[in-house]
Amino acid sequence: MTRPAACLEFDQVSAGYEGRPALHRVSFRANPGEVVALTGPNGSGKTTLLRAALGLLPLTGGRVTIGGQPTDRFSIRERARWFGWMPQSEPLRENIRVRQYVLYGRHPWIGPWESEGPEDLRAVDRALAAVDLSVGPDRGILELSGGERQRALMARVLASEAPFLLLDEPTAHLDIGHQIDLLERVRSLCHREEMVALVALHDLNLAARFADRIVTLHRGRLVADGPVATILSAELLREVWGIVAELRHDPRSGLPYLLPTLPGPKPRAAASEIEGVIHIVGGGGAAQPLLQRLHDEGFLLSLGAVHLFDSDSERARDLGIPAVVETPFAPLGDSVRERHRELIAGARAVLVAPFAVGPGNLANLEDLIGTVGERPIALYEPVGLPPRDFTGGQADRMIQDLRHRGAASLATLDEVVGWAERIVSLRGPDRAPGRSVREAGPSPEPIPDH
Amino acid sequence: MPPTGPGVRSRWRSLAYGALLAGGFVGLFLLAGLIGPVAIAPLTVFHILGYEISGGLIGGSPCGGSVEPARCATLVLIVWESVVPEILLAFLAGALLGVSGGLLQGVFRNPLADPYLLGISTGAAIGASILFVFGVGLAQANLTLPLLAFVGALLTGLVILLAARSPRSSIETLLLTGVALNAFLSGGLVFTLLYNPIGNLQLNFWLLGGVFGATWSQVGLLFGGLLVVGALVALHGRALNLLQLGSDVAQSLGLDSRRVVMRSILLASVATALAVAFTGVIGFVGLIAPHIARRLFGYDYRRVLPLSALVGAILLGGAFDLSFAILPSNELPIGVPMAFLGGPFFVYVLYRFRSTAGSGGIA
Repeated sequence: MTRPAACLEFDQVSAGYEGRPALHRVSFRANPGEVVALTGPNGSGKTTLLRAALGLLPLTGGRVTIGGQPTDRFSIRERARWFGWMPQSEPLRENIRVRQYVLYGRHPWIGPWESEGPEDLRAVDRALAAVDLSVGPDRGILELSGGERQRALMARVLASEAPFLLLDEPTAHLDIGHQIDLLERVRSLCHREEMVALVALHDLNLAARFADRIVTLHRGRLVADGPVATILSAELLREVWGIVAELRHDPRSGLPYLLPTLPGPKPRAAASEIEGVIHIVGGGGAAQPLLQRLHDEGFLLSLGAVHLFDSDSERARDLGIPAVVETPFAPLGDSVRERHRELIAGARAVLVAPFAVGPGNLANLEDLIGTVGERPIALYEPVGLPPRDFTGGQADRMIQDLRHRGAASLATLDEVVGWAERIVSLRGPDRAPGRSVREAGPSPEPIPDH
Repeated sequence: MPPTGPGVRSRWRSLAYGALLAGGFVGLFLLAGLIGPVAIAPLTVFHILGYEISGGLIGGSPCGGSVEPARCATLVLIVWESVVPEILLAFLAGALLGVSGGLLQGVFRNPLADPYLLGISTGAAIGASILFVFGVGLAQANLTLPLLAFVGALLTGLVILLAARSPRSSIETLLLTGVALNAFLSGGLVFTLLYNPIGNLQLNFWLLGGVFGATWSQVGLLFGGLLVVGALVALHGRALNLLQLGSDVAQSLGLDSRRVVMRSILLASVATALAVAFTGVIGFVGLIAPHIARRLFGYDYRRVLPLSALVGAILLGGAFDLSFAILPSNELPIGVPMAFLGGPFFVYVLYRFRSTAGSGGIA
């Protein structure tokens, strides 16, 4: 790479097709060595943006600059020396050899009266080595598998030695292994050679994993631009993609990844329609299914008191559920118990997960028993529960006590949901339509408590 | 050329095919003499050619010693003033049509593109027929004819380009546009030729093509034209290679795709117009020649274009001999054997490429 590292900047770029605007004053900058994921739903303008940079689509406003130089002054050939484009698909029908195919990438460097020289052939060899294409360069391009073909295409892009890679859905036809492999190569190449990659990606998890920055387009406008760790949020996913998803964090890299909630009957109500919090007492992962299911159903939850890094507390963090957390392995301290009692006091009802009780967290049950009678309590007791008392019978006696004093016993998650719905609907008779049959009838029977 | 060409067969095989093609020229020459209206022995043909080309320096008598002078004068007339210019005209027209087909197939990325099927040949013929309708420039017909033919060919080529540009275009729509255009223009051609002030002018010649009555000046003109076209076409090989990746990708690789497409259509129109102006409308040469060239020598357009010319020349030369074989009286239009060959070939290509066709947006 002989050219100095330069920034690629989009400055108020607008463009469109035959009077139909597709990009609206998009501004952002890609710095040398940066992998920028271009994200957005279908038709949001990702491909248009790449085509506008390439000059395949005239700008109707703004400009694209390289190191401050507006690209519209570049000739077609000059532009080709700066940008390496990987299109979504190519209509190739002729079974040319892989080496010749990659050599096409050298075209911007070969004059109209010249033939390819030894430097061009060396660049082809380097590019083929960089993508680690396992087939021989004399194979016909149409004989390659999808993954091999994509690598050959990548090699052609690299052969031009352009410092800016514009990759349009480079992983679209690849299996998961090849997707990771290709993006990893792009990433390390950009970081090593101070190149810039602008990668249009549909897969947000791949974007989060491989990009340094995420730029999000929505209806032709830039709606988000920033580092992966801060830019992905549940709000962005809901507003731009219209999906409900939760963000979790990869324990190894700390990078966010998202888990979309599958569409279907849930969530049955928007969070704002639910009144009252259901407090869950858990620990050791026993509350995970409850947290997940009730969260998915749209209930407001709180959790306590659990230990930091305990899987219940991790899940609560990922779901954005407030929780009272104690230092790992320490017995529940006074201040923690205080805050736990406050959470219980603020809840409409309390649900007890089948957590294992030891001397360290016995205080959870003690604090709960102190509030009996103030609000409904239910015990989630699925069939086949292993022994949970590690306090020499103390915990079992307390649970027995809760049961005697009116705590409901729920054996399945469906029963839990039904119980929770009866409780939160106590105070809101005019609920949103479309709820389940259970609430369609007259006022439900009184909650068994006390 | 280093062995980096796309889809290149081994060098020796390419050489062997090349030798075969060169041999084909000589063979067709001699065959034309043998099976022509008067059977002439190959040796005599050689004699006459040597005598005429060298201006009488070689061979003593025009036909060699064994032929009596009276008969020899007739033979010289047949060989030198009829058979030789006719087959040369066939070779040259075939080369021009072959190049034109190669260019069009490259530009449209369509194995079925052909100046005849797309209506460009008929467009050229209409242009040429204007000459007879209005009677202008008849005296300089050798120059005005190709010029008018070029205008007709180019206009048709531009219509085809417009059709190909539409985002909904596919191989099928492009071909059907060509078929419709061809039918329309053929009607127009018959009209101009039948209802012109001069009278019924060689309708068969224009519709089916022929080299009957070829003159040396026509041969010279086409030869010059082929040289010019060939030189310009030679500059387009690499561009057409890139264009196979799609015009957008080609442009992203530094090629001015739009300009290359326009130039190629211009060149194809010139080549077609030259051929049509002197041989009428001959179909299928431009379709078949590039296919055979690719089959034998690979996909590199730097090779495909000149070899399409070579194969096209041999094809039309062969058709010329074949027309003698079918009808020794030498009145069968050369387009007839070509159609016998080309029709089935067209169907073959259509079915062979149908599976990969129709991926939208051709040019």
